[in-house]
Amino acid sequence: MRTKHIEIVVAPKDPHYVGDGFRVHNFIPSGYRLDMERMDPFILLDYNSPFYFPPTDKPRGVSVHPHRGFETVTIAYQGKVAHHDSSGNSGVIGVGDVQWMTAASGILHKEYHEEKFSKEGGYFQMAQLWVNLPAKYKMSDPKYQGITNSQINKYQLAGDKGVIEIIAGNYKNVEGAASTFSPVNMFNARLEEGGKAEFTFPSTYNTALLVVDGEINVNGTQTVAENHFVLFENEGEDFSIEATKKSTVLILSGEPLNEPIAAQGPFVMNTRKEIVQAIKDYNLGKFGYLEE
Amino acid sequence: MQNFIKYLKTKANIAESEFQLLIKKVEIRNIEKGQVLLGPGEICKHSFFVEKGLLRSYTIDNSGKEHILQFGSENWIVSDRSSTFFNEPSDLSIDAIEDTQVVLISSEFINEASEISSSFRNYNQIALQNHIRHQQKRINLLLSATAETRYMNFITLYPDLTLRVPQWMIASYLGITPESLSRVRKELALKNFKPN
Repeated sequence: MRTKHIEIVVAPKDPHYVGDGFRVHNFIPSGYRLDMERMDPFILLDYNSPFYFPPTDKPRGVSVHPHRGFETVTIAYQGKVAHHDSSGNSGVIGVGDVQWMTAASGILHKEYHEEKFSKEGGYFQMAQLWVNLPAKYKMSDPKYQGITNSQINKYQLAGDKGVIEIIAGNYKNVEGAASTFSPVNMFNARLEEGGKAEFTFPSTYNTALLVVDGEINVNGTQTVAENHFVLFENEGEDFSIEATKKSTVLILSGEPLNEPIAAQGPFVMNTRKEIVQAIKDYNLGKFGYLEE
Repeated sequence: MQNFIKYLKTKANIAESEFQLLIKKVEIRNIEKGQVLLGPGEICKHSFFVEKGLLRSYTIDNSGKEHILQFGSENWIVSDRSSTFFNEPSDLSIDAIEDTQVVLISSEFINEASEISSSFRNYNQIALQNHIRHQQKRINLLLSATAETRYMNFITLYPDLTLRVPQWMIASYLGITPESLSRVRKELALKNFKPN
């Protein structure tokens, strides 16, 4: 097996707000080399680095909006998020939990800071990913997987040096908690200082990581700071990370769908015609209804 | 300026030689979300061609409530034509709903283009007639149509704006309350949503 080298290390861009509750650095899709095609099936990554939200009676968040053609995955590192959607699903995710929502043929949803968290205020830290769906599943039924931290299988590193949480995919024969529509690996590596983990993915898979907390060294050659994103080359299979400080690292590796991508706003389909149809269906109420 | 160039060449059928002369006479301006292009009481000196982004024109009544007359996304022109033509203060405000790039079209540009290009002159006539037709339809819808009919017309005219502007702005454009818009959308969903 060959080493998978770093292609680029990306510093976080200036944050922007999604609604009034998510203050995010956008990594995907953005410009050179982090476009949807290159990162396929990871077509969006917004990261809310730790940010203090003061107490409020009116929960902050994003009001009702539609999605079609992909899945939204929200990973909570600090704070709590409440979710409601037009399929009748709702749930609250807290620290260490994951919400995996399959928008597929169409869903309306809203995401807000959980009520008690809003009232008390506090630090908020989350990652949101959009995972593209294969064409044949884009119009399948919506689905919701609320995954608590206790439901996420974990791989213990030797010497109590850390734990790998397998949100999706497979790590050293430990299966991920979420069901996916194409091969997707998504892990949280929680490493003590000096903790080291090795990863092996097919060279064709698009592979990246985000240093959520701490600082790591990749392949023993490059130090990567907090809030920085690493894209790996599509050559070689193996890479390693070592925590130079106590760290949390989001690891992503997925098989590219290699299908045409047509995207506009909250819709990601295969053709422009399907986007126009999505807009039309949304306007005509075919995604259902959800109270603000 | 790609959209504007395409617009001039296809809609106004401007010849390449005429185009080279005219294109020097327009100005591009980048404005941020919320920035004002025309304030109430000002004389509207330009038509604003939206290269990228989104504008709105609106009035503010005595109670401070906003009434949106027009949205303008890519390839739309937003202006107060009568203020420009009669050189009189406008009742309208024009501002940006998104970060926007506009091409500023002055009266001098229109006059010059009309002088050197008969197809532009023709186009400008049609544009004016279209504007009048649109205004008439809009007045009639506001006077006579139900909230649902107004909404159906809106999504035909501006399909993707439901994704780009807040509900209250759409309600303002339709001349209904946000609650009425919400009711219309709910009724449509009840009629058209077929859960699996």
